[in-house]
Amino acid sequence: MDRRPLLSRAPRGFSVLGLVLFVAAIAALAAFPSFVKKPYVLHMGVVLFLAIIQGQAWNVIGGYAGQYSVGHAAFFGIGAYVTMMLLELNKTAPWVGIWAAIAAAVLLSLVIGSITFRLRGPYFVLASISVTEIIRLAALHFKDFTRGAEGFLVTEIPTLKIGATEIEFFTKRPFYFAALGLAVVTIIANWAVQHSKLGYYFQAIREDQDAAHSLGINPAFYKNVALAISAAFTAAAGGFYAMFVKFIDPNTVFGLDVSVQFVLICIIGGIGTILGPVIGAMVLVPLSEILRNPKGLVQLGIVSSDSGFVRFIEANLSNAHMLVYGILVVVVILFAPEGVLGVIRRLATRLRRRTPSRGRTEPAATA
Amino acid sequence: MNVFLQSVISGILVGGVYALIGIGLTIIFGVMRVINFAHGDLLMLGMYATWLVFSRLGIDPFVSVAITGPLLFLWGAFLQKTLINRVLNALPQNQILLTIGLGLIMSNSIMLMFTSDYRILTTTYSSSSFSLGGISISEPLLVAFLITAVITAALYWFLLRTDTGQAIRATAQDRDAAQLMGINVQAMSVLAFGIGSALAGVAGALISPTYYIFPQVGSTFTLKAFVIVVLGGMGSVIGATLGGLIIGVTESLSAVYIASGLKELVVFVLFLGLLLFKPSGLLGKTRA
Repeated sequence: MDRRPLLSRAPRGFSVLGLVLFVAAIAALAAFPSFVKKPYVLHMGVVLFLAIIQGQAWNVIGGYAGQYSVGHAAFFGIGAYVTMMLLELNKTAPWVGIWAAIAAAVLLSLVIGSITFRLRGPYFVLASISVTEIIRLAALHFKDFTRGAEGFLVTEIPTLKIGATEIEFFTKRPFYFAALGLAVVTIIANWAVQHSKLGYYFQAIREDQDAAHSLGINPAFYKNVALAISAAFTAAAGGFYAMFVKFIDPNTVFGLDVSVQFVLICIIGGIGTILGPVIGAMVLVPLSEILRNPKGLVQLGIVSSDSGFVRFIEANLSNAHMLVYGILVVVVILFAPEGVLGVIRRLATRLRRRTPSRGRTEPAATA
Repeated sequence: MNVFLQSVISGILVGGVYALIGIGLTIIFGVMRVINFAHGDLLMLGMYATWLVFSRLGIDPFVSVAITGPLLFLWGAFLQKTLINRVLNALPQNQILLTIGLGLIMSNSIMLMFTSDYRILTTTYSSSSFSLGGISISEPLLVAFLITAVITAALYWFLLRTDTGQAIRATAQDRDAAQLMGINVQAMSVLAFGIGSALAGVAGALISPTYYIFPQVGSTFTLKAFVIVVLGGMGSVIGATLGGLIIGVTESLSAVYIASGLKELVVFVLFLGLLLFKPSGLLGKTRA
C-alpha cells in the first residue's frame, strides 16, 4: 500500500521562465488598483493574498515536512491578538507590533512543537487541535487580559510615514499593496526554504522519518524549525487580518474553522508545492466571498441589483461559505486527492504523451 | 465533602452519556482505523432530530431515542457505504479531512435550514431534581444515565455474545484475517459506522433536554469524544466506557474547584499529558 503523498517529487531547479512569469504577475497585480478602483475587487484581492500567505505558511510544516497541523489558528490568533492589543492598549503601530506578534508566535511554536512533535500521525493531529482549543478557551475565560468574547475593535490605525509620503489606512488600497507585498515575501521565502538544505531535510522527514533519523537528521529539531518558520508567516497573516477586518474575538481567530481553512487552501490547490496554495486560494476565496457578500457582484455590474441570483444567495446561502468548504474538501479528497494542481499535471502529462506519438507509426515505447 | 460528592455524582451522570459518544467513536476506529471527525456533528443531528420530533409531534426526548437511533444508524451506514469506504486505504490525514468536510457539510446544512439560533427543548422535567441524602440529583440526567446504561449493556451483549458482534470484533482485531475467515468485512464496516453514528445520535437525544441545541454544538463533542477514546485506548469499548465516566467527573470537579469556564480546558490539558506519557491509553495495547 502506497501511503506517500501523490505529489512527492523533488522540487525543480531555478527556471528563468518561472521567474519571468512571477515578476510579470507581481507587476500586473501591483498596477491593478490603478485601473480598477472598485473597493469590492480590492477587498477580494486582499482576502486572496491573505489566503495565499496562510496556505504558503501551512505548506512549510504540512506540505514539506509532512506534519498535518490542524491547529494553525493558534499562531494566526496569537499574531492577531498581539498586533491588536499592542495597537489598542499601547498605541504601537501595527507595522511595529507585527514583529512582536511574529516573535510571540515563534516562541509559542517552540513550546507547541516540543509537546506535539513527539507524536505521529493521527495523534499529532489531535494534539495540534487540543493545544489550539486550550488557547481558545483560555482567551475566552481570562477576560481581564483578553476581554473574552467581547473581543477587540480597531479604533484607529496611525498614519504611516515613509520619507515624505504619508499613507493612511482608510481605504482598501493601502491594504491591497501591503497584502500583495507580504504575499510576495512569503512566496519567495517558501521557494528559498524548498530549495535549501533545510527543505530537503523537511522532505526527508516527510518521506520516511526513521530513515531520515538514521541518516543523521534530527527529526524533532527540524520539525520544530519548520513549525517556527510556518508560525512566523502565520502570525504575520493573523496580525494583518486583525488590522484589515478591524475586529477579532477568540472564536474568529482561534476557532477550529480557521485551522481547517489553512489545510483546505493547500489540499485544494495541491500540497507541498509553491503553486498549490495560490491555486487553492484562487478557488476558495472568490467562492466564499461571493457567498458572503453577493452584493459585490452588483457593484461590479456583473448582475443587476434585483437579480434573482443575488436575492437567492442572500436569502439562503449568506452563511454558506463553510458549507462550500465542506463540499469542496469532500470532492477533492475523493476525486482529486492531489489537488487541482495534481489534476492539471495529470492532464498535461497525458497530453504530452499523446502529442509526440501522433504521426508516428510506432509508439514511443522505446524511450 | 457534600460538594465533592455532589460534583462526583453529577459528573458520573454526564459521564454516562459521554461514554456512549466515546463507544461510538471507538467502534468506528476499531473496525475501520478511521478517526471520525464528524462524530460530534452526528450527535448534533441527533439533537436536532429530537428537537424536531419534540416540537412538531410532542414526542418526549427519551422516547424519541427509538426514532433518532435507527435514523442515525441509516445515515451513518449510508455515509460509510458511499464516502468513507472509498478512503479506507488512503492516507490517514485524507481520512481525517474527509470526515472534517462531512462534519462541515452537516453542521452548515443544519444552519441553513434552522438558522444558528440556540434552541432549547423545555420538558416538564428539564430542571427538576430530587434530593438523596443531601445530594441533589437532576432528573433528566438520571434518566439519561439509566438509558445509557441499558444501551451500553445491550451493546456489550451484542458484541460479546452474538455472531455478528464477534464478527465485528474480529474485523477490528485483524481485518485481513477476518476476511480470510469468511467474514464480510465490508458489511461489518457499514454496520460499525451505523452503530457508531446511532450511538452518537442517541447521546444527542439524551442530552437535548439539558443542553443548548445549535448547529456548531458538534465540534465540542467531537473533541471530547477523542479525549475519551484516547484515554481509554483507541478501539477499546470498555476503555471508552471508563474514559467517558472519568472525563465526566473531571469536568464536573474542575467546574466546581477551578472555574466553570475552564472545565474543558482542564480536560484538554489532561488529554495532552496523556498523549505524551501514555498514548496507548489506560486500557489500550501498545500501538502496532
